[in-house]
Amino acid sequence: MEVLMAQIEALLGTSGALTLTIAYSVCIGSLLGFITVYAMFAIWMERKVAAHMQQRYGPMEVGGWHGWAQSIADALKLLFKEDLIPRDSNKFMFWIAPAVVFCGVFAGFIAIPFAIGVQIVDLDLGLFFIIAIASIEVVGVIMAGWASNSKYSLFGAIREAAQVVSYEVPAAIALLVPILVVGSFRLGDFNAWQEANGWLIFQSPFMPIAALIFFIASLAGAKRAPFDLPEAESELVSGFHTEYSGMRFSFFFLEEYASMFVSSALMATLFFGGFTLPFVDISSAPAPIAMGLGMLILLVKTFFFIFCQMWLRWTLPRLRVDQVMAMGYKYLLPWGFLCVVGAAWFEAKGWGFLA
Amino acid sequence: MGVPGLMGGIREYFGNIASALTTTAKGMKVTVSHMRRDAITVQYPHERLPTPPSYRGVHILEQEKCIDCQLCAKACPVDCIEIESVHHGRVLEWQKFSIDYKKCIFCEFCIPPCPKDCIHMTSEYEMATESADDMVEDLLTWTGLRAQDQRTIETSAAKKEGRDPPPMPEGGQPGGPAPGTAAPDGVNATSTAVPGGPAAPGGEPRREKEAKEKAAKEAAASAAAGGGDAAPAGGDGGMADKMAAIRAKIAKGKS
Repeated sequence: MEVLMAQIEALLGTSGALTLTIAYSVCIGSLLGFITVYAMFAIWMERKVAAHMQQRYGPMEVGGWHGWAQSIADALKLLFKEDLIPRDSNKFMFWIAPAVVFCGVFAGFIAIPFAIGVQIVDLDLGLFFIIAIASIEVVGVIMAGWASNSKYSLFGAIREAAQVVSYEVPAAIALLVPILVVGSFRLGDFNAWQEANGWLIFQSPFMPIAALIFFIASLAGAKRAPFDLPEAESELVSGFHTEYSGMRFSFFFLEEYASMFVSSALMATLFFGGFTLPFVDISSAPAPIAMGLGMLILLVKTFFFIFCQMWLRWTLPRLRVDQVMAMGYKYLLPWGFLCVVGAAWFEAKGWGFLA
Repeated sequence: MGVPGLMGGIREYFGNIASALTTTAKGMKVTVSHMRRDAITVQYPHERLPTPPSYRGVHILEQEKCIDCQLCAKACPVDCIEIESVHHGRVLEWQKFSIDYKKCIFCEFCIPPCPKDCIHMTSEYEMATESADDMVEDLLTWTGLRAQDQRTIETSAAKKEGRDPPPMPEGGQPGGPAPGTAAPDGVNATSTAVPGGPAAPGGEPRREKEAKEKAAKEAAASAAAGGGDAAPAGGDGGMADKMAAIRAKIAKGKS
């Protein structure tokens, strides 16, 4: 951010608030572009992964090579579709809900460190900020479900509320484990710590459990199968976005894939070294190379976890509502607490495997 | 019951965790192993699955062999075959041999009764049309014969004569007639001489009207082509010549 501001000042001769405004606009614009392109790629990838797991081909026609342009075609189609708003819906809430849902996830991107210096704001409480701002999404979903004036939508929204609120607790508890070790909420510190000492997943026996808990809880948070109860096609038509069409519908889709990215990037940053590699020191390389390499490494790790999410989706059937609740409160939460206590104990005794 | 119940509960709790982890791992192993396998689907418009030899697709008619006996139309359980022709001695003047594929159930009942083995079912199955009227296919003009269908025809002819069916053609030129086409033609030439083909149900007025129409059409065709050899779209070879001669005779009788 500082680098960008200096660049803008040098280039345009602006200063102060104007520079800040321009810099933020550039950041937000590039982030929006990134999310859009990423979501299109992820949707294509999901369809391909699903198809090959079922021994099909998936999209093969649009764009020539393995249907790479299928998502672009779909996005264009959604853009040009009629924007239907149910007659008896709450117009304002219906209209604003997709924006609220998207904002929650979009704000999470601000704090993610993509590489050295490639981070919009390195917040002191970056991790806390992401976890907190992601909760706004639930509000948007409930708004969407309630404003639609449809029973299916409302059921979906209620399920979403119950599920996401329950699973935020184990996710946050699991995140306490790496926080205990590093002693900071700042995401940049996690990268620095892991660059110096090695990946956090190997730090103590509690780390893999915490990582697993966070992974499962983030699946539920992103409404991915097997926790896709809010959408539950076989029961609720399409859940909370049943009444949505065209562009607004695509915002919900964008949000789902964006939140997959955020949780996977967090997973990579917190437990698997972020944009660093174990035995290679990339930060000593010249700045542009270090930036490019760091982004590449983080993206590879992130896409690995996104692939794992897709893999799980096409493996497991959807859980029942009571099973989802039991999973959250009977299994993930106690084990999360156990991990926190154990990690604190290890930390107090200095038994950690690294540093 | 307190202590065993508690122990049972604990065992169930940890058993649940263990089974969840192991079964998920097992399932994930299965799905990822399927990723390495080749797709079993085909990219349909570009590649097709082969149809079996006995496939029941769109019909094809060997017009020169047909004697207008109407047996196929009578056998049809849904009455989708309509045949009209004018008999000039042994030579038939075809008006219509159409199958309404809106009705056809592809039961193949029309094939066995045929005394001349001149109606067959091909491997053609792409019959989508833009309007319902196009579903009525005129077999007199439809030429969708593939190498594979030629083999079906030859096999049925060979079976009738007690010969071995011809070998499977390798590759096969699509649409092109296979080398064995001459044999059934020869059979046809001798067996068409059966006297007294079944009379066409129509009566005099219709025949007259049709003849008039034909004559008008013929006159227009000869005016356009400047000669007597205006062959109809589907026919070929000697059949067309015979037809031309008959039409010329009809036209002369009228004038």
